[in-house]
Amino acid sequence: MDIKVKVKEVLSNLLKVKIEELKDEVSLINSIGVDSTEMVESVIALEKSFAVKLSPKEITKNSTIDDIVNNIQSKLAQ
Amino acid sequence: MEKIAITGIGVVSPSGIGKRQFWANLKSGRSFIKEITRFDASLYPSHIAGQIDDLEKYSHISERLLKKIDAFSHMALVSSELALQDAGIDIKNEDPSLVGIFLGNAIGGWLYAETELRDLYLEGREGVSPYMASAWFPAAPQGQVSIYYGIKGFSKTIVSDRASSSMALGYARKVLAKNKLNMILAGGMEAPVTPYALLCCNTYGALSNNNANPAAAYRPFDQGRSGFVIGEGAGIVVMENIERAKKRGANILGIISGYGTSCDGVDRINCASDGKELARAIKIALADAKANPEEIDYISLDGLAVELWDDSEIKALKSVFGDNLKNIPLSCPKSMFGNLLGASGVLDMIIALLTMEHGLVTPTINLEKPALNNLNYVARESKEYKVNKSLIISRGRGGINSVLVVEKL
Repeated sequence: MDIKVKVKEVLSNLLKVKIEELKDEVSLINSIGVDSTEMVESVIALEKSFAVKLSPKEITKNSTIDDIVNNIQSKLAQ
Repeated sequence: MEKIAITGIGVVSPSGIGKRQFWANLKSGRSFIKEITRFDASLYPSHIAGQIDDLEKYSHISERLLKKIDAFSHMALVSSELALQDAGIDIKNEDPSLVGIFLGNAIGGWLYAETELRDLYLEGREGVSPYMASAWFPAAPQGQVSIYYGIKGFSKTIVSDRASSSMALGYARKVLAKNKLNMILAGGMEAPVTPYALLCCNTYGALSNNNANPAAAYRPFDQGRSGFVIGEGAGIVVMENIERAKKRGANILGIISGYGTSCDGVDRINCASDGKELARAIKIALADAKANPEEIDYISLDGLAVELWDDSEIKALKSVFGDNLKNIPLSCPKSMFGNLLGASGVLDMIIALLTMEHGLVTPTINLEKPALNNLNYVARESKEYKVNKSLIISRGRGGINSVLVVEKL
């Protein structure tokens, strides 16, 4: 499955937000209003789904869907 | 002390959600105690309760928030919204620093806690929801209500077993009387119908084991009593100074005019058998209300349906009201929907307000053969009485006594 599609699916299920709202350039923090606890939860869910180790700090700093997909892609490539 | 107005009622109970439905069911004298269906409770000595199964139907809370909070916070949020609607208050028009929240709770949010603790031991630390820490503790509902409405004024959560919400109302009144806040959302919430919470309640040793006949199980003051039955729910009211309430044209449902509290200090679990400290709390509340005992025309009983507690409650009342006690209607309407523990006191006060409004005392169901005679129990069915001043008794484990006086304006 396409990484972006999977990221959106994981976050949509977790945050109870419609997939259509999770556009590529949408920031989890500024647009969806994800708080620090939701961010921890999101990172754990993404780590489980992609079997990678992510840094909550990095994801918080760059929190658009595109940012997160790039972050995961780079981890998968390592 | 200044008398404080109640201008809005929000109730979430096994007997109905919203004050109209709640009152209609109370009036009918119908029991809402049933076998627990939320989980398999069949091996618990007591597996009956007053449950709420249709909260979602009345809820305005998003799925996103619901997964972060326990049921008791959910009930508090729905109750708060109902209370604000009933009071005709749009919180956006209030100064948030002058609005407070005073809520009582006895046991916390165990449905959330139990599930997450199970996951902690089964899956390790990553199996635990990050919301666990902020979902389970007794002050969580206060926090959630505060966040939801942006309330920023002085607020408190009172944990004092079954007397918690009665105390929260008493303290809220004190704070309003000092003119430090404009209004307070006050009351309590409890969600004990969970596997672990039910176990704890069972180990208390005071629950009825009459599982075969749930509707007849909770029978306070009756010779055939076998202990109380738990219930879940919340009651939250809007409290404000009378002048402010009048100025904004609010419908004043009643006023809290007196409050008294004391502790028995004799045992970890039981109350004192002599009722002396409860009598003292009643006297403090009456003096605070500047009311003579003869002025009280309805008494809401705590009614634990345990001989020691029931008898000491009546002893206390006899010592304060003397011979006149036999003329005052007494009732324990929670026999219909269960004892909401930390939220029981506010539900009793809401019932007293509705009793005064409608001139109808709702019954203590199952009270067929009183253990102590010559008292004016309103038993089995509702009875018309003109009520102007009510006394509401709440008692907690180990003999915590909390007494309110509410009256018509």
